Order: sequence, then structure tokens, then C-alpha cells
Amino acid sequence: MEFTALFLAITIVMLVAWCGSRTIALALFAATLIASVATYLHHATDALKLAF
Amino acid sequence: MTRSLAVTINALGLYAIAFVLAAAFAAQLWLNELPCPLCLLQRTQFALLAVGPTLNVRFGPHPSHYALSLLTAAAGAAFAMRQVLLHIMPGDPGYGSALLGYHYYSWAFIGFAVAIVLIGAMLLFDGQFAANGEPKPAAAGAFAHAAVWLVIALIALNVASTLLECGFAACPDNPIDYLLLKRSP
Repeated sequence: MEFTALFLAITIVMLVAWCGSRTIALALFAATLIASVATYLHHATDALKLAF
Repeated sequence: MTRSLAVTINALGLYAIAFVLAAAFAAQLWLNELPCPLCLLQRTQFALLAVGPTLNVRFGPHPSHYALSLLTAAAGAAFAMRQVLLHIMPGDPGYGSALLGYHYYSWAFIGFAVAIVLIGAMLLFDGQFAANGEPKPAAAGAFAHAAVWLVIALIALNVASTLLECGFAACPDNPIDYLLLKRSP
């Protein structure tokens, strides 16, 4: 569900970037990038099996 | 570098992004390999990478538009590297099938790294930017228009695809079928 929302948000950002206001596109882009990083942090819970 | 040449190169970049998104769909549909959450996240970053070139095509090249793409590519590379590290231990078969010896997340990392280098190279050419620093509309031709709409269509297809795959719940870690198409027993 969260990825459907992310792709929908990116579709809207692209449509605004192409047809709408530049300022709104930049603001929506920032919100979407932050949302994608938040989604990453939510999913990145598996421990990395690394040894150095 | 002239503004029109920079716009053409940005349109080519959009076609490259469209190619990546289409190739991911091809693997999903023909090999029936459903993307995992981290894979989908990398796909979102490839899609988000298209915003900068789209703004460059519409409003003319501007350093801030390239900055959007740089930030996205850096985040995408971090997400891909996370998945590479999850499967880096000897004996780990990796997630999904390999293409030319590399798994998709390794290719994604390479793709984001190449994007960072290419965006850095584009920023070297000051001649493409307007003299007063304000974005000025660029005359985009049919080639660039088609590139933008192609990418928008592919991203919209991903909306439908992820809805079919994950339904209205959180996406499973190791998806094997489309949850929304699954019939209840």
C-alpha cells in the first residue's frame, strides 16, 4: 500500500512538473523524497550480517 | 553547451529512465519475479529521478533541477547498496535472478552511480543556464514531449502494479503472487 501511495505521489509530482507550477512541483518533490526515505527506514529493519 | 542541446540530453535521460522502468516491468511480467519492498523502493527512486529532467525540459536547464536528480540518485544508491549488503555474504544466493552476472539491485546501484556522474558532468557546462539565474522556458520538441509522457505512463502503470501486488496492506517481504488477484479459499 505504501508503495502504491509513493508511485501515485510521484505521478502527481511529474504531472505538476510538466503541466503546473514549478514551485509546487519542487515542494511536492521534497515531500515525496522525504516519504521515500521514511519508507526505507521503516523497511530497513533486517540486521546486516557483516563482519569486519 | 547550448540550452537546446542540454534540453535534448535531458530528454535522452528521460528515455533512459523509461528504459529502466520498462526493463523492470519486463522482468516482473515475463519472468514472474515480483519486486520485493526494497526493489520497489529502488524503482520509486528511478521514477523520482525523472522530475529533474522534466523540469529542465519545461522550464529550461537550472542547477536546482539537477540538484533534485542528484539527491534522488544518492538516496537510490543508498537503498540499492543496502540490498547488496544484505546478500553480500559468501554462499548467499541473492534475491531474484541475475542479469549478466549481477542481480537487479547491483544493476540499480550501478545505474544510480552512473546517474550521479552524468549529472555532475552536465553541471560542468555553464552555457546552458540563463544569465540572470532565473529559469526560462525552453522550447521542447515532440521528442522531449514524448519522453515525458512515456515516463509518466510507466510510473502510472507502477501505481496499478503495486496495488495488484500488495493490495491495501503492507507489501510482503518475499512476494510470490499478486495479493489483489488472489482468490480467498
